[in-house]
Amino acid sequence: MGKILRKVMMVGGAITPPGIPMDWTWRQMATEAFWNALKSCGVAVKDVDMVACNYNDRAIADSSPGPQIADALGILPKPVVPIANACAGNGIASYVAWNAVASGRCDIVVSMGFARSDNYDAMEAMNTQGNYVDFDYLMGMTHINYGSMRDSYYRRKYGVGLDAAGQWAYQCNLYARQNPLAANYNKPMPVLEELCADTPEADRDRQATNRGGVASAMVFVGEELARNFTDKPVVFDVAYAFRPPYIGNFFNYPVEGMKEYDMAELPGLMAAAREVYQVAGITGKDIDVLQVHDLTAYEGMMAVEAAGICEIGRGKDYVLSGGMSLESRCPVNTYGGGPAFGHGSAGSDFQAGVLENFWQLRGECGERQVKDAKIGANTSYGTHHSLDVMGVVQKGW
Amino acid sequence: MSEQFTDQFVRWDTFSSALWYRTRAARYRLEGTRCTSCGTCFFPPRTGLICPVCYERAMEPYACAQTGQIVTAALDDVGFPAVGYGENLPRIQAIICLDDGIHLMVDLLQVADPALVQPGARVKMVLRKHKREDTGAWVYGYGFVLAE
Repeated sequence: MGKILRKVMMVGGAITPPGIPMDWTWRQMATEAFWNALKSCGVAVKDVDMVACNYNDRAIADSSPGPQIADALGILPKPVVPIANACAGNGIASYVAWNAVASGRCDIVVSMGFARSDNYDAMEAMNTQGNYVDFDYLMGMTHINYGSMRDSYYRRKYGVGLDAAGQWAYQCNLYARQNPLAANYNKPMPVLEELCADTPEADRDRQATNRGGVASAMVFVGEELARNFTDKPVVFDVAYAFRPPYIGNFFNYPVEGMKEYDMAELPGLMAAAREVYQVAGITGKDIDVLQVHDLTAYEGMMAVEAAGICEIGRGKDYVLSGGMSLESRCPVNTYGGGPAFGHGSAGSDFQAGVLENFWQLRGECGERQVKDAKIGANTSYGTHHSLDVMGVVQKGW
Repeated sequence: MSEQFTDQFVRWDTFSSALWYRTRAARYRLEGTRCTSCGTCFFPPRTGLICPVCYERAMEPYACAQTGQIVTAALDDVGFPAVGYGENLPRIQAIICLDDGIHLMVDLLQVADPALVQPGARVKMVLRKHKREDTGAWVYGYGFVLAE
């Protein structure tokens, strides 16, 4: 690892609420998040040095989005780095932004993402696409097929029952009723017993909601500038890692750090966690609150394990013993997880977790506030966990 | 084609004949590649790509085993199939481990009794019709059936 020249501080951020009007273009949606993020910390548009922005190239077909984004945000002629790497690509955007600030090249950088999946047929543009297109999607295998396969394999390998999955969804739903940004904030609370049932309806209720279009933005500055914008700056670090894109190669791929694992573990996330913990100077045991990207309860548990909060294969025990609750040593998914933020995809799948941790550390989370949280971590993934991202925030005041 | 949707769906993101042509050896014969330096075998083929084990680049064709066993299986009955596969629902899909250790995600075909689809069950490759491409031509490729 090279020399890091200065800490990167997060001073503000925003995410669009549920129910973005249908007539908003992706440009309007992205601008809304950018504008509100800058307003949250008093940064002027003219002072932004660079923007790193993730989008989904299957739903946003414009072939050259960089200048369009720069134009929409009013920052021309300053650079926008367009990133198209699926759902957790906004984690890569934050990595690009982090490097721009840590190196001293830029003082103020915005990391953002937007997803307007209904630009085209959402199922066609997003869900059916495989990882290694020639040998999965073209052979009839989809995102959904992979998810079903992974969940059933994980359940059998580690003996995970519907009780743990139901408890996971229940706790996420509980937090969602305490988070006005959650898609299901005002909706009736589901019943735990029904979430644990072995029915298609319960299986659906244990998965992420469809939030629709979403955009998010985070503002990063060099450490010596942070106090100009907030008295509660937060230190931000991030790392990401890949694993082979073809699903068959999730089994014992002959590369160090991969060959010991299969589809029931997340070695990419483990690699990202090792790196970001090293950069941040922490271990998994230091984390006070964890947000994970969970399209299903099972992969949520897999992420808790890979983050080092519990042993591999013991996620179910962590959940069933109350590990997700505010009383635990490391509460999980206080933002509401998949049931609250759905598949924000390129717009927010990573940044929604960072924003929640940012607000947690600053004590701004109301009923779902974790007491004395000093270190927060979050995970996100794209394309069947062939991309895994992990972020860490620490109190910077 | 399903009974409900009798016309072939052609979407903006369907793929070209050229792409199918390039992958024909792997689809028809399960042909992967072997690194000529370290001997590691790969599927999908890595022709022209760098070996992630020894970092050399020379690859030679490798005929994958055409028999193996089921690692895990799942029923696709959700209703969002890949384009061109809608008429096959519900489908039984599986991760299989070939006898040479290579893993694939495949369709299990001609399953008379789903109870027989269990981890460890033996499978063998068959050549099957997959789907029609945009030009109307049938695309063929590998599938697997339970071995006797």
